[in-house]
Amino acid sequence: STSSLLSAEKDKSTASKGSTTEGASKRQEGTAETPKQKLLDLIGNMKVEVSYRKKLQELKASKNNKQDMNALEGPDREGPQRTTEGIQRGKPLNPELVKAASAVASSLPLNKKKTESELLAQLRRHEETTDKQKKGETINIRNVISEMAVKKQSPALRGVRISISLELDDDGQRIRPERFSSQSFDSRSLKGGKRLNIFTKASTEPEHALKTVSSPTIWDLEFAKEIAAITAQPPRNGFEEMIQWTKEGILWEFPIDNEVGMDDGAEFHEHIFLDKHLEGFPKDGPIRHFMELVICGLSKNPYLSVKQKIEHIEWFEKYFEEKKEFLQEI
Amino acid sequence: MAAAALGWALRAARQVLPSPCPGQVRSYYVDWRMLRDVKRRRLAYEYADERLRINAIRKNTILPKELQEVADKEIAALPRDSCPTRIRNRCVLTSRPRGVRRRWRLSRIVFRHFADHAQVSGVQRAMW
Repeated sequence: STSSLLSAEKDKSTASKGSTTEGASKRQEGTAETPKQKLLDLIGNMKVEVSYRKKLQELKASKNNKQDMNALEGPDREGPQRTTEGIQRGKPLNPELVKAASAVASSLPLNKKKTESELLAQLRRHEETTDKQKKGETINIRNVISEMAVKKQSPALRGVRISISLELDDDGQRIRPERFSSQSFDSRSLKGGKRLNIFTKASTEPEHALKTVSSPTIWDLEFAKEIAAITAQPPRNGFEEMIQWTKEGILWEFPIDNEVGMDDGAEFHEHIFLDKHLEGFPKDGPIRHFMELVICGLSKNPYLSVKQKIEHIEWFEKYFEEKKEFLQEI
Repeated sequence: MAAAALGWALRAARQVLPSPCPGQVRSYYVDWRMLRDVKRRRLAYEYADERLRINAIRKNTILPKELQEVADKEIAALPRDSCPTRIRNRCVLTSRPRGVRRRWRLSRIVFRHFADHAQVSGVQRAMW
C-alpha cells in the first residue's frame, strides 16, 4: 500500500543522502524552504487538471524533505530506525534523539547552545508534522478525490444535479447524496480545505483584563442609567413588550418556577433537624417542652427559610433570658 | 426604625411614590381613609413576626399563666395599627370599603364598568 511505498522511499532517501557536512545556516534555509515548498505544492494542487499519481508524488516529496531534515540532524545514527522510534514514542522526544542533537551541536563550530535548541525545536516540529501526516494522510486523499470530483463537473450542472437530488429524495433518504455534495461544497468554501499556515494565529490576549475600577462611582451609575433611558425604545411588538415586563418583574418567567424567591440553597436536614439550636434552653421544664413544640411546628413549615426559623428560635431565647428573674420567682 | 417611619410618612402624605410606568399615574391616594389603610398594612407587615411569637406564648397551656399575662400586656403595648384585623380590603380605585371583590381588589361598580368595556380579562356577561 501507500504507507509501505513511502517507508521504502524513506529508506532510499536516507541511504542516498547519508552523512552531510552542511552547517546550521543550511538547516535554517531548509526550515524556511519546507513551508514554502508546502505552499508551492498547494498552489500546484489548485491547478485544474491534477492527476492522482502526481499528487502522491508530491506528498512523497514533502515527506522526503522532512526525512532529509531528520537525516541532516543525525548523520551518525540510522535514519529510519530513529524516525520510527520517534513516531512510536509520540509527543516526548526520544532521549537518543536529544543526545544526537547535542552531539551534532557540539560538533559544529557555531554557537552550540543555540544550535542545540534549534535542533530540538526542529525535531519536535518534525515529529508533530509526521504524526499529523500519519493520521491525516487518508483524509488528504479523500480531499483529493472530492476535489477531483468537483472539477470534473461544471458548477452549473453540479447545482442542477444537487437540486434534483434534493427534490427527488424525501426526508429520510436525503442524507447520503447531500453529505457528498456538502463535502464538495466544503472543499470550495472558506473554512474547508488545507490550512496554509501563512498567518500566525492572532493571540486574543485579555489586554484590558485589569483595567476596570474596583467599584463604579455614582457618576458612572448615573451615566449608565442615562444611556439606558435614552436608548430604551418603546416596544415595537407584543414580544418586546413582554420582554420588558419580564425584566421589570411584572411578568413571570416561563416555564413557571414555583420556588422563585424561596430557594435558599439549604438542605432538607437543615429545615427539619432544628434540635441543635435548642442548646441555650434549660433541659427540663415547661420552657423546653414549649420550645420543642415550636421546633416541631417550624420543621413542618415549608414557607419559611432556614434563616427565618433560626431567627424565631433566637427571639424566644432572648425573650426567656429577659424573663428569667421573673420565672425564678414562680 | 423611627427614622424609617418618619421618612415613609414624609414621603407618603397622600402621595404615591413616583412610578416608572408610562401609563396613567395617580399622584395621590384616593382619600385619607385609604392612606390610613396603607399605613395599617405597612405596620402590620413590620410587626407580624413579633405578634406571632407573642401570641404563641399566650395561646398555649404549657407555659405558666403568669408568663402568659406578661405576654398579654406586651402585645397590648404594641402600636394599635400593627394589628392585621384593622386592615380593610378597600377598592383600589375608589377606596370603597364594601362590595369589593377580592380577586380584582375592585368595588362592584368599578368592576362592572371595566367588565362592560372588556377591560377585565376572562370576564363576560353571564347568560344561561
